[in-house]
Amino acid sequence: MGTVRVINVSERRRVLTFWERIYLPEVWRGLVLTARHFFVNLWRHTLRLFGVKSALPGAATYQYPEVRRPQSPRLRTLHRLAKRPDGTPRCVACMMCETVCPAFCIKIVAEEVDDPNIEKRPKSFDIDIGRCVFCGFCVEACPEDAIRMDTGITEIGALSREGMVLNIDTLLSLPPKSERGDKPVDFLQQQLVQ
Amino acid sequence: MPKVTIDDLTIDVPAGTTVIQAAEKLGIYIPRYCYHPGLSIAGSCRMCLVEIEKAPKLQIACYTFVTEGMIVRTTTEKVIVARQAILEFLLANHPLDCPVCDQAGECKLQEFYMQFGQYDSTLLENKLKKHKAMPIGPHIMLDSERCILCSRCVRFVDEVSKTHELGIFNRGDHSELLPVKGVTVDNPYSGCLADVCPVGALTDRDFRFKVRVWYLDKTESVCHGCSRGCNIEIHANRRRSHHNDGKLVARLKPRFNGEVNGHWMCDAGRYSYKRFESEDRLLQPLVRLTGKGQEKADWTLALSQVDEQVTHQIGRTGVAAAAVIATPDLSNEELYAVRRLFMQGMKIEKIAHRCPADPNGVEDNLLRKSDTFANTYGAGLIIGAPHTADPTVETILEAAGAGKLKTLFIVGDGLLSRYSADVLREKLKNVETLITIQTHGSVLTELATVALPMTTFAETDGTICNSEGRVQHFDQAIPPVGQSRPLLEMLVDLANRWELKAAPRLPESCFAELAGNVEYFSGLTYSKIGDAGVNPSRRSAATATA
Amino acid sequence: MSAGMEIGAAVGKTIFIVMFALSLGGLLTWVERKQSAVMQDRIGANRASILGFRVWGLFHIIADAVKMFTKEDFVPDTPHKFIHALAPVLSIFFALLSFAVIPFGSSIVIAGQSIGLQVADVNVGILFIFAMMSVAVYGVVLAGWSSNNNYSLLGGVRATAQMISYEITFGLTLVGVIMIFQTLSLQEIVRAQGGLLFGFLPMWGVFLQPLGFLLFMTAAIAETKRIPFDIPEGESEIIGFFLEYSSMKFGMFMFADFIEQILVASMVTTFFFGGWQVPYLGDGGFVFPWGSTIDMNTWLVESLRVISFVLKVSFFCWLQMLIRWTLPRFRFDQLMNLGWKILLPLSLANALVTAIIVLWIGR
Repeated sequence: MGTVRVINVSERRRVLTFWERIYLPEVWRGLVLTARHFFVNLWRHTLRLFGVKSALPGAATYQYPEVRRPQSPRLRTLHRLAKRPDGTPRCVACMMCETVCPAFCIKIVAEEVDDPNIEKRPKSFDIDIGRCVFCGFCVEACPEDAIRMDTGITEIGALSREGMVLNIDTLLSLPPKSERGDKPVDFLQQQLVQ
Repeated sequence: MPKVTIDDLTIDVPAGTTVIQAAEKLGIYIPRYCYHPGLSIAGSCRMCLVEIEKAPKLQIACYTFVTEGMIVRTTTEKVIVARQAILEFLLANHPLDCPVCDQAGECKLQEFYMQFGQYDSTLLENKLKKHKAMPIGPHIMLDSERCILCSRCVRFVDEVSKTHELGIFNRGDHSELLPVKGVTVDNPYSGCLADVCPVGALTDRDFRFKVRVWYLDKTESVCHGCSRGCNIEIHANRRRSHHNDGKLVARLKPRFNGEVNGHWMCDAGRYSYKRFESEDRLLQPLVRLTGKGQEKADWTLALSQVDEQVTHQIGRTGVAAAAVIATPDLSNEELYAVRRLFMQGMKIEKIAHRCPADPNGVEDNLLRKSDTFANTYGAGLIIGAPHTADPTVETILEAAGAGKLKTLFIVGDGLLSRYSADVLREKLKNVETLITIQTHGSVLTELATVALPMTTFAETDGTICNSEGRVQHFDQAIPPVGQSRPLLEMLVDLANRWELKAAPRLPESCFAELAGNVEYFSGLTYSKIGDAGVNPSRRSAATATA
Repeated sequence: MSAGMEIGAAVGKTIFIVMFALSLGGLLTWVERKQSAVMQDRIGANRASILGFRVWGLFHIIADAVKMFTKEDFVPDTPHKFIHALAPVLSIFFALLSFAVIPFGSSIVIAGQSIGLQVADVNVGILFIFAMMSVAVYGVVLAGWSSNNNYSLLGGVRATAQMISYEITFGLTLVGVIMIFQTLSLQEIVRAQGGLLFGFLPMWGVFLQPLGFLLFMTAAIAETKRIPFDIPEGESEIIGFFLEYSSMKFGMFMFADFIEQILVASMVTTFFFGGWQVPYLGDGGFVFPWGSTIDMNTWLVESLRVISFVLKVSFFCWLQMLIRWTLPRFRFDQLMNLGWKILLPLSLANALVTAIIVLWIGR
């Protein structure tokens, strides 16, 4: 059973010692800390500059466009629509995602299919990425496992608001990250081509 | 009067009442599929099983009549377990294609499974394949896989429409709901089949895949298709404009009123909603300026044109050469506003509401009435009664054809169902100033000097009197389509231009004034009319006999 | 000494010190970004490249300059357009002018003429620097006032209050140094620091005036308006006096900051760390306390001295960067408390104690 712990903020305030109030020793400690980082990192940078491969890296940064941070397999990235084996969309336009979407960014128009075992499919399926909050509710809600957020695409941009609206053709054409591998998709390029 | 106790609540009910009805009176809802208050009792679904004291087994609530001292329990564990088992059984062959099913969201299978479902399936067998997406009539789509064989629809076509198109064929789990061979389900009440079906087996073809039901806003209204005045709900998709082909009104559903239409409505009325947002709706005022053809105009120009043209024409040819046709498809408030402005304000003598019978009107024993005007009764009270002359529409049109009328107001769309376009064109050719206030574009708006667009009954509040004189209220379901405006508003604006007194702008206040001026409506308000309507003629008959 | 030679020497020395300040200032813009990055386990600016050569982001100095010069010069709707344009010039001009009295070397002998390595050997050098730094406040005040913007004005007022408050401590701490060395000339002060204490310790100001050094350093950083004393600016949230500046006018304010930083480093070097003095290096070469000597010619000695000065200044620039990227900003009330209630009494006490000791030793 969870009980609420009440914390009085004023009680948590630690009384500073004389030397802490003097401030200068604390300044000194701070300077030592940052200076140590400076010299250690500089040393590591220098070692690696001279080709010492075993040296630890001097920085924790990723050189972004060239080197990408590994994505968690659970990361919610750009949506895609899954296909049936015959290439038609799995989506049956049940509007679950549209209903659950808290950002109102999904717009589906349904149409009828002749095949009585499918009956319904989306005529258009638009996601306004500009409004999307990447909550993943649509993926949770989908009863057909048709909408997925596994493309690994995180760089999303367009030159207009309209460009941020992805239509059904784009969503169907996007491959999952597992198929695409680490090959980057220039998403903006794709949008511009359209 | 047996006394029955259900879930510790006690009630006296007349003999012959079933347990399910007694429970309903107590506000206890017992889940059911095959039981429908408008149909005979089948007792086939077993969903309404309840525990009755001293009975060895669970009993179905729908076909067990109450007896003195009966003690019923509807929420015991035994009952809940029974419901779980029944649901598992009903779902044995159900395809669970809720994502594509139009019934999803108002499906009793979904609702009860959410409440009493077993959730962990114990079924290992494959489901049976049956007919899917099978159009069995102009309005109804059958999916027999989804059917739970409650037989409501079979009883409907046997007992209500009496057309006997449907049956349950084969035996055991191969039982299947199908139309009788070679028969299409095209009776005039076939749309009700989609209503009675508790699951998605029978769905409305017209509504198919248009919009999910949970996006719809429901408004209580009254059908204007004929003088029956069936109580309906208008289901409008007001929030997601890309659904329902961009239209607002998605469907009409009957609303129970035991005094008028019971649980049903006819197909003609059901699909009349398409008129609200049809292509030929008049979306903008049309004005014929001197020396030019007819042009689209804004309201300021249109109203100023009405003002100028009518003032000029009446100044030239006099009020005697002016007439008004107010067809009885208008509401009581609108008719009263017409009477207030034209009869009492402008002193026009010739105000006609009586039209010839509709050549296409159909009457049957169930609901449909041959008088296809919704408010003939009210028009007689409001326009007809205070009249000394009380001309018919026929005489007005004759006079117009003979060139005796120079100014004519036509309010309402009713003439079009009674006269052909050619006749109207011929009769109206001598009218110099023709002002039409209509919902739809037609030959009348083509001929009009000024054509003002008016709202339909879905877009405004009002009351109408059905053929029995029952006053029923309808609510506004959608905003006015295009630039159309409620008749009351535009008559107020016109009256202001002419410095005359008009009826109030708001329907409710207008009805209050109407109630003060017309004896029939005296004492009535919108709140007294309520959802079900009242019939003052019965009241007066009752007082008369007393 | 001929007049021509004198003018030539003055021009040469001026060019040297101005180029020194400007190029080091330019370099500091890069150091600021790079040093903070290395301190924070980052890499820092490394993208600007010429023909694919990146040289650890050194070209960002050029890129920044190009950016500053080519940006739109936005001038707010103010009735004081001239003053608005003048303010950044004042800021940078007086900061540069102070370098005139900073000695960067002893003296060299060219064609029999001795030339002191200092643009102007004024005998009131310290006062000159105080004067220049006081006038530099005007750049800030005028910028805030002429921008016709309440936020700018408030930023300017904050800056003024801060600079005036800390100038008192700034001056008082140097009273001790002046008393010890008995001169106002900077060259004289530096020369006086050439001696040895107890026979082995260079007689630098920092050893004579340790408290004075701390107070001076604190007040000097406050004078430069940099973190932890960047209340006038507060780029990230409270925005300051140069809110309405853009393009190179804004660049000049930024650059004046760096110049002031070098100036502070130069002053600390001059007053407390022996200026151009190299420990144990006399005019004829090294004379170590344990007796051994290394003979050198004058040119070598002078070169070592100039290099020593440059290195010391660079170190203090680095130290200021370290402080700037280590400490969080003070609140304004803390700033005022520190200035008036702690630094000022301490500097007064420092001056008093120094005076007593100087009098006692001199007796």
